[in-house]
Amino acid sequence: MSTEPMIPNDPHASANGAEEYGAGSIQVLRGLEAVRKRPGMYIGDTDDGSGLHRMIYEAVDNAVDEIMNGFGDRCDVVLNADGSVLVTDNGRGIPVDIHPEEGISAAEVALTKLHAGGKFEQNSNRISSGLHGVGISVVNALSEWLELRIWRHGKEHFMRFRHGEPEAPLAVVGESGDRTGTQVMFLPSKGTFSHTEFDFDTVEHRLRELAFLNWRATLTLKDERHAESREAVLHYEGGVQAFVQWLDRSKEALHAPIQISAERDVVRLELSMEWTDSYHETCLCFTNNVPQKDGGTHLAGFRAALTRTVNAYANDSGIAKKEKVNLAGDDMREGLTCVLSIKMPDPKFSSQAKEKLVSSEVRPLVENLVGEKLAEWFEEHPAEARKVVTKVVEAAAAREAARKARELTRRKGVLDIATLPGKLADCQERDPALSELFIVEGDSAGGSAKQGRNRANQAILPLKGKILNVERARFDKMLSSAEIGTLIAAMGTGIGREDFNVDKARYHKIIIMTDADVDGSHIRTLLLTFFYRQMPALIERGYLYIAQPPLYRAKRGQSEVYLKDDRALEEYLIDGGLSDAVLRLADGVQVASIDLRALVEQARAVRNLLTPLTRRLPLKLVEQAAIADALDSTLLTDPVRGPAIAQGLASRLDALETSLERGWTGTWVEGDGYTFARTLRGVTETHHLDSAVIRSAEARRLHDLAPRLRETFDRAATLQVKERETVLSGPVALVSAVMEQGRRGIAIQRYKGLGEMNPEQLWETTLDPQARSLLQVKVAQADDAEQVFSTLMGDVVEPRRDFIQTNALKVSNLDV
Amino acid sequence: MTSDVTTGEKTPACPICGKPAEAKYTPFCSPRCADVDLHRWLNESYRAPAVEDPEGLPEED
Repeated sequence: MSTEPMIPNDPHASANGAEEYGAGSIQVLRGLEAVRKRPGMYIGDTDDGSGLHRMIYEAVDNAVDEIMNGFGDRCDVVLNADGSVLVTDNGRGIPVDIHPEEGISAAEVALTKLHAGGKFEQNSNRISSGLHGVGISVVNALSEWLELRIWRHGKEHFMRFRHGEPEAPLAVVGESGDRTGTQVMFLPSKGTFSHTEFDFDTVEHRLRELAFLNWRATLTLKDERHAESREAVLHYEGGVQAFVQWLDRSKEALHAPIQISAERDVVRLELSMEWTDSYHETCLCFTNNVPQKDGGTHLAGFRAALTRTVNAYANDSGIAKKEKVNLAGDDMREGLTCVLSIKMPDPKFSSQAKEKLVSSEVRPLVENLVGEKLAEWFEEHPAEARKVVTKVVEAAAAREAARKARELTRRKGVLDIATLPGKLADCQERDPALSELFIVEGDSAGGSAKQGRNRANQAILPLKGKILNVERARFDKMLSSAEIGTLIAAMGTGIGREDFNVDKARYHKIIIMTDADVDGSHIRTLLLTFFYRQMPALIERGYLYIAQPPLYRAKRGQSEVYLKDDRALEEYLIDGGLSDAVLRLADGVQVASIDLRALVEQARAVRNLLTPLTRRLPLKLVEQAAIADALDSTLLTDPVRGPAIAQGLASRLDALETSLERGWTGTWVEGDGYTFARTLRGVTETHHLDSAVIRSAEARRLHDLAPRLRETFDRAATLQVKERETVLSGPVALVSAVMEQGRRGIAIQRYKGLGEMNPEQLWETTLDPQARSLLQVKVAQADDAEQVFSTLMGDVVEPRRDFIQTNALKVSNLDV
Repeated sequence: MTSDVTTGEKTPACPICGKPAEAKYTPFCSPRCADVDLHRWLNESYRAPAVEDPEGLPEED
């Protein structure tokens, strides 16, 4: 803890110094009296404990200055039971020679004369901290007593002060051998400090900072005031990087810390930073080991470099563009932990407390250094850089969304229903429980709905998907931001996690009404997903519904029927086809009315089971295989029945052919299944009914149905309707024949869109509470929509295309 | 065309970041991800591919 009066004729002083420190360079400013009169100016607040603790820091800083400059490596602090503090270092020891001007020992000068520090010399190329730069003399001035012990030149020196006044000159009291160092023990003055109790954790915090910032140093703190003594040993390999990791000890870092260590001009910069998954910024900056809680030019330089570098990377990588955000400095620092430590001679601060650095030359210097190194890091760590920038961009997106949500919800007018002319056709009812809102896709449908509705309690909001030409041959459909805004306005609930309030919903039935085509189902998926994600409470309360406009209109004579989907159409046709129909089996048994209806139902089920198996095999083959009960997995390992069934099935196939086209052969291979072949006009046709097909779920269920199939179709049956007769070889033919019969005399219209219905039709089928059917959206369905949505929103075009082609049906089935 | 719905796994993962969802912020993991999502709705990031020619798709029956 050598305070630094350097004396030229001290032969031991400058072993390490590039420059000789002369006693002439020491400016002596008198006035410990002034310190005692206005202690606050020198040591800080004497009432809240900060000044009191600074007494220790001032003493410790001197020790650390020695370590920073390469002398010694330890500083031990003891809080004594009597309230005094003991600070010991192993630096060079304060010079003990007689000061040429003062005529007293240099040590006494350091302890009794204000501003007697080498650190006040600009030309002394040293770096030192000292919170106030007033040195140990202030500590001395504000102590009831202070004992100074110096080991230097093989001697132990001692001196004692009372209220800053020496009791006797510095005296040699013993030998010290090789030991060097300084020890100060002092008792803070009760006259100055309103309370004099030191807080262990506060002292430890500061010592830890110093240990991180000076990794060569080991600092210890011992509390001997209580029966049980407490001790902390602070030593951190790795410096500022270890500091950052310690700060983030309970957080998840996105990457290994970025490390910047550089020196330019007379400034030495140490910086470590990392982004974590948290949302808070921790940025500590230090100048010569002293923290600046208000930042200053070094922090400004760092932030400028950070903003520039991250912005450049976010733009170049396209991440910012994709998310459509403008990055603000705050976004870049979200989750950032940074320790920035600079060491430089003669820093300038805005106040005695050094809470803000104002040395203007530091800003460009730090900005350039950090900018360079950070850009390098981004370039060399593309994966990590991406993670960081993604986080930054998300921070920006969240910030902007929260702002817009506030605007949309709170700013008068934006959400005012009256400001939505031509959009919402509201209802007269004011009680939400009785009010319905139809969200209708498409303008023409919206027009029909507005005319067809019951305006007493039905409101109509037409929505139009916006089409965007993404590439030459590719279009995207979406809900424009204006449409989303209108939607939110119509709901009345507000938007955003803080502002959404389901109690304010203006309608307790919100009904999504879209076309029954793929585009319509996409819009519906978008809407469902929007509600599910941003207004889930609407779904939980059961306010959200899907309308079911009919897909077909069937007209027979004067009567017309609306049919909501293919299944309904099929049932309608079968009903019609079954009147007057009789099925005559090969053995003469006749089946009609209810029994025939049951048979047709079973045949439909069989057809649905057969369909997936016909991807690789002819329908005829699998159908006959089902009737012949060849789809029995036990046959795969039955060398007796297996081949017999194969041959039987071949004959069945032959029976279906004209005499010229017969010649099917069936072979069985254990564990593998059947192969059927026929050679016609020199061309061989081969089908492999393999074990994968035989073991499929469909085949298993067909096997269960086989006995009943055989009853009906073991030999060809005949369907007779009045005079017309049709020969049927299996269930699929039965269904087709009945439906074909049902189509006679009926005109079927398929609605491609809601717009094809006139207002009356729309009312009759979809709006009228007596006639319509609504599907209430449950969370599970919304969940499914979510799944479809994520595929639809995928970035990769190809899977998306395929998905639409193959799953068009499934999408439209979400609400089934 | 009955219950042909893809039975997706019901592991609730936040649609934005993929972390497990929090009941309180369903279906997201945090208010933050909910905000990111809202931002995407408000800036027209969510798009479904449009079918230029609905007739071009295979239809049933």
